[in-house]
Amino acid sequence: MSDLALRAGHPAIKERGALASLSRLSPDRLVPWLLPLILLVLWQASASLGTLPPSILPAPFDVAKAGWRLLRSGELLANALISFERALSGLLVGGSIAFILGLSNGLSRLSERVTDSTIQMVRNIPNLALIPLVILWFGIEEGAKLFLVSFGVFFPIYINTFHGIRTVDPQLVEMARSYGFKGFELFRRVILPGALPSILVGLRYALGIMWLTLIVAETIAAQSGLGYMAMSAREFMQTDVVVLAILIYALLGKLADSTVRVIERYSLAWHPAYRKGARA
Amino acid sequence: MTALATKPRSAQTRGASVSLHGITRSFGDTPVLKGIDLDVRPGDFVAIVGQSGSGKSTLLRIIAGLDQGFEGSFTVGDTASEKASSRIMYQEPRLLPWASVIENVAFGLGPVPARDHAFSRARTALEAVGLGDRGGEWPDVLSGGQKQRVALARALVSRPDLLVLDEPLGALDALTRIGMQSLLERVWQEEGFTALLVTHDVAEALTLADRVVLIENGRIALDLDIPFARPRRRGAVQFGALEDELLTTLLKSKSQTEEYII
Ligand SMILES: Nc1ncnc2c1ncn2[C@@H]1O[C@H](COP(=O)(O)OP(=O)(O)O)[C@@H](O)[C@H]1O
Ligand SMILES: [Mg+2]
Repeated sequence: MSDLALRAGHPAIKERGALASLSRLSPDRLVPWLLPLILLVLWQASASLGTLPPSILPAPFDVAKAGWRLLRSGELLANALISFERALSGLLVGGSIAFILGLSNGLSRLSERVTDSTIQMVRNIPNLALIPLVILWFGIEEGAKLFLVSFGVFFPIYINTFHGIRTVDPQLVEMARSYGFKGFELFRRVILPGALPSILVGLRYALGIMWLTLIVAETIAAQSGLGYMAMSAREFMQTDVVVLAILIYALLGKLADSTVRVIERYSLAWHPAYRKGARA
Repeated sequence: MTALATKPRSAQTRGASVSLHGITRSFGDTPVLKGIDLDVRPGDFVAIVGQSGSGKSTLLRIIAGLDQGFEGSFTVGDTASEKASSRIMYQEPRLLPWASVIENVAFGLGPVPARDHAFSRARTALEAVGLGDRGGEWPDVLSGGQKQRVALARALVSRPDLLVLDEPLGALDALTRIGMQSLLERVWQEEGFTALLVTHDVAEALTLADRVVLIENGRIALDLDIPFARPRRRGAVQFGALEDELLTTLLKSKSQTEEYII
């Protein structure tokens, strides 16, 4: 659809999107980094002065050194990769099931009647409460993490897909029908684009839950991954590695969030709230 | 100018005739339309007026094929020839916000693959409503009147034989409205479709229509021919008597219903 918009070739549309967001680093863009930077300097200063003992919180410099060491040994990359793989596969499995169920319940009253109240019931179980049961089922194999992450990401994606489809403007649907659109064409041209903002909100929530679930699962039941790395470092009192793992989690979470923002900027370029200048 | 006074304004009138026979529609136990009979000649511009809630939209939705729950029958176009096509235009533009202006117009061609051919037709329709240079923009940057012009282009891009319009200018400010009225008259004269316009503005009906039909209590209460030459000047003196007659009937039916409610 967007290529058609480009073909129509109006500068207003050409200008929007990635190029604009990659523009020079303006002071405006640097401001959000100011506070973290000040905190970092304060942290380093109090560690160097000895007010902050390394057993509580190691200096940023030591954390960086630990990072460099683990990076050179390949341990860091291997663990990060495994965590990333688990997160992604859980998101794919749980997310696709949720998306399909959300679509079918949004589009069909029958499907909603059959499944929705069951889903709402299961939704009230916090996914981390399932950990003991999941360990009984899967041990600490990959299945356990896959199950927990899938279970966690399922609900935000399901609910927002369902809600998005149900709240598509009925006047637009009537208009499209009067122009002869039905079935898949109606879905592709009207219903899906109308539901997309809500679906992406669901995705963003899901990403947060995805990391949280994975961290807990890896801390409790894993023999690899970032959570495991932090946990075994604790046994050896390697505070620097523990802090490193936490920082990497924060970084990965931020990365996931930014990815969704980029997707939003592209696919919701029509939406005034996601336009260049207006940041959600 | 006097040449346009009588019928043939368009050399090739391809509009569809419309005939309604005893159209009756109730919602629950409330009858809204109680037997509407109406014959519209091909290419005519008919305005339908009536107080709010008198069933004008209901009637249009039936003619546009959006409502199946009615009794009676109607035909659009000569049943012998190929099926006549009709389009509806609403009070709201109902543009797809995620499609560019030109894509919205091409949407009016129905679920056909979006080929270059479709886009060149859409561009022609967009030029006809004076927005040829806005095709690449998102609908939400347009003003209310411009959006309604895009909706008009979308309705006309498939060259329908009948266009039904449900208060399409109702939400526009007075000046934009006058501009839209002349645009509507111009495209109607150029294209030769049959037009059924619902409006609550008696002056608008008199400016645009060959014939004004007033609906009251589910029936046609008044059916007036408007014989004046085009283009008509708004609020022309000759309108006076007709405007009076329409307004009197409208106000009478309004006070009647109000008594009823009390
Ligand atoms: N789908 C519907 N369900 C129930 N009542 C309806 C429906 N559509 C219209 N009505 C009723 O029918 C009457 C006529 O409505 P409408 O045709 O929209 O009036 P108008 O367009 O002349 O203002 C109103 O009283 C309205 O409440
Ligand atoms: Mg109405």
